[in-house]
Amino acid sequence: MHRLYILPTLVINAVIILVPAMLTIALAFFQWDGISPPVFAGLNNFRALFDDSVFWSALANNVIWTAIFLIVPVAMGLLAATMLLLVNRGRTFFQIVYFLPVIIATAITARVWQGMIYSPVTGVFGLLQHTGLPLSNPLSQPSMALFGVATVDLWHWWGFLCVIFLAALRQVPQEQIEAARLEGATFWQMMRYVLLPGIRPTITLMMIMTVIWSFLVFDFVYILTQGGPAFSSEVLSTLAYRKAFYDLNVGQAAATSLVISVFGLIATYFYIRIQSREAEQ
Amino acid sequence: MRRLLSNALAVLLSAATYAGSALAQEKKPASWWYENAAPENQQYLKDLLVKRFNEVSKDTVLSVDFRGAELDKQLRIAMLSGSGPDVVYTAGPSYVASMAQAGQLLPLDDYAAKHGWNDRILPVFLELGKYNGELYALPKTYETLGLFYNKTLFEKNGWTPPKTIAEFEALAEAMKAKNIVPFAAGNADWRPTNEHYVSIVLNSVAGPENVYKALNGEIPWTSQPFVKAVDTLNKWWQAGYFGPNYFSLTGEQAFAQIASETAGMAPTGTWNFTNVPKYFKQNNAEPGFVGFPSAEGVPYPIYALGIGSTFSIAANSKNPDGAAQVIDYVFSDKFYGDMNTVWQGEWNTPLRDLTKVKVGDAVLPLYTETMRNLADSVNKNQYGYTTWTFLPPATNTYLVSGIEELWLDKTTTAEFLAKLDATFQQEKAAGKVPAIPARQ
Repeated sequence: MHRLYILPTLVINAVIILVPAMLTIALAFFQWDGISPPVFAGLNNFRALFDDSVFWSALANNVIWTAIFLIVPVAMGLLAATMLLLVNRGRTFFQIVYFLPVIIATAITARVWQGMIYSPVTGVFGLLQHTGLPLSNPLSQPSMALFGVATVDLWHWWGFLCVIFLAALRQVPQEQIEAARLEGATFWQMMRYVLLPGIRPTITLMMIMTVIWSFLVFDFVYILTQGGPAFSSEVLSTLAYRKAFYDLNVGQAAATSLVISVFGLIATYFYIRIQSREAEQ
Repeated sequence: MRRLLSNALAVLLSAATYAGSALAQEKKPASWWYENAAPENQQYLKDLLVKRFNEVSKDTVLSVDFRGAELDKQLRIAMLSGSGPDVVYTAGPSYVASMAQAGQLLPLDDYAAKHGWNDRILPVFLELGKYNGELYALPKTYETLGLFYNKTLFEKNGWTPPKTIAEFEALAEAMKAKNIVPFAAGNADWRPTNEHYVSIVLNSVAGPENVYKALNGEIPWTSQPFVKAVDTLNKWWQAGYFGPNYFSLTGEQAFAQIASETAGMAPTGTWNFTNVPKYFKQNNAEPGFVGFPSAEGVPYPIYALGIGSTFSIAANSKNPDGAAQVIDYVFSDKFYGDMNTVWQGEWNTPLRDLTKVKVGDAVLPLYTETMRNLADSVNKNQYGYTTWTFLPPATNTYLVSGIEELWLDKTTTAEFLAKLDATFQQEKAAGKVPAIPARQ
């Protein structure tokens, strides 16, 4: 009887997740423009995708994006959280300041950076250009566009990690921290031998989630550059969107989405494995 | 007696009310989903279309629902599930073929005959809305590409609007020498802006006859005239005609630069007439608009035709006659005059004869003159082809990003055109190329 309790969530899950997921998998093997009846195409969508140089550059951009987000915001979040833990004064104030960008809507954050910071006409970069600084809009240069978008997302994201890490750090037994202090541990030694080992499960979880989220990234890229200039900031999700809604090639869009899901599945596998190991311990 | 009279009056009143409500009930609803529009423009639509149509229509009551910028996606899904509006407002002719093929649209030939659309609407647009010989769509508005310039700046420098590509390039160099950016251009808010320039060179350098042949599959897009056209555009980019901030400026910010004399000329579309009063007035400058210069061997001017959206009737509409009445009202001289008086550039319905149309005195004479010239040119079959109207979807989206690859040295003209042609041939084989009206 108690098994019936999972029925409502199971039904919701099936309708909202399972059915669309199955449809996406099926559509990856069909040629469909989103209007006319779909035609079975076998593996043609995958072949066309793998022959397309834009797909590989988008995949590479996703890998670069993941690497950036595994290092920069995690490092920034850890450093700021540790400092907040060790220094009591102004802790709440800084927590609010760091967390504030997280609660601002993505579209607003993106437009503010695009118009008020990066723009050479209406932004801070334009002002600095007038003073003689050789600054140019990173979103307009193929070599910098992806990093320009990543900077905006980092600004919006790292505060979240900081707050999560701080919450975890506060669970580290106070006696261990005091003992390390009495032993004369430096800040870095405290980090390496006491704090980081104490919150390792949280860091691992956040890093796995970062991998999943990085392959799903869409909003900032789409609003700021739409994947340009010249595909230089294209990622898999913007490619899928373009194929579905601009090229009217839903089959290839579904195939692209499946590739994104593969990376998500790999990360999920590791997450579940770590979770079950912890449960065993 | 008084009581009897009052009772009789009450009965009469209630009978009249009942008759009125019965009449109102007899009016069948007709729905129309509209795209993104500024609040003042939404009000113009409510006042000049919905209210006036409902006053004159005896059997239909129109309602317009503003669906925002993602209308085409909502519409496609709604049409699939059979729950779309009566008046189908598509994103352009390339969508019409697929919808007609899927049986989602009603043929309009009988309505065209009944309402006299064949006589009132420019024939080329009727041809463009056909699929398998039947009429399925009418364009809401048509636009063209040309050259906006600042007359005041030109007079100050003794410049005249160019008519040939050689004159145009000489003028651009003269502007550069005076530290004026030759082109007022920016794609920060709309990346497909790139295709405006591709459309310009395809028509004014390669020529509309060659574009027509390529659209019909008679010559490939890799042919020499297109190589020359794309090379010319690339030469302009490399020479810095687009200025240093093309990827940073929005379309409106860029257009404002010709009024402020930061930029010299704007090769863009007639939709920018909506920005003319706003920026030229505040800079005390006089606007000018001419056809884009042509290369040797190509007639001048060539007006490339563009259609942003089209009207159709849903196959499962419960009030197709009412939907046809709504479309008919939009194609009336009165509606053209009323709407273009308050909202220019967005409601240039393809009426064959604009001499009977009365537009308000406050409207810029340059706008009305340009629209008349355009209608005359189309009537005489002197027109070109914009890529967003005549190319199938995947070819068009590749063109938008592919030209950036060329500009930024990530590909060559030959590679760009080869990929464009391969995508086009694939889509042509799949029947995704819109109907191309015969060239006389």
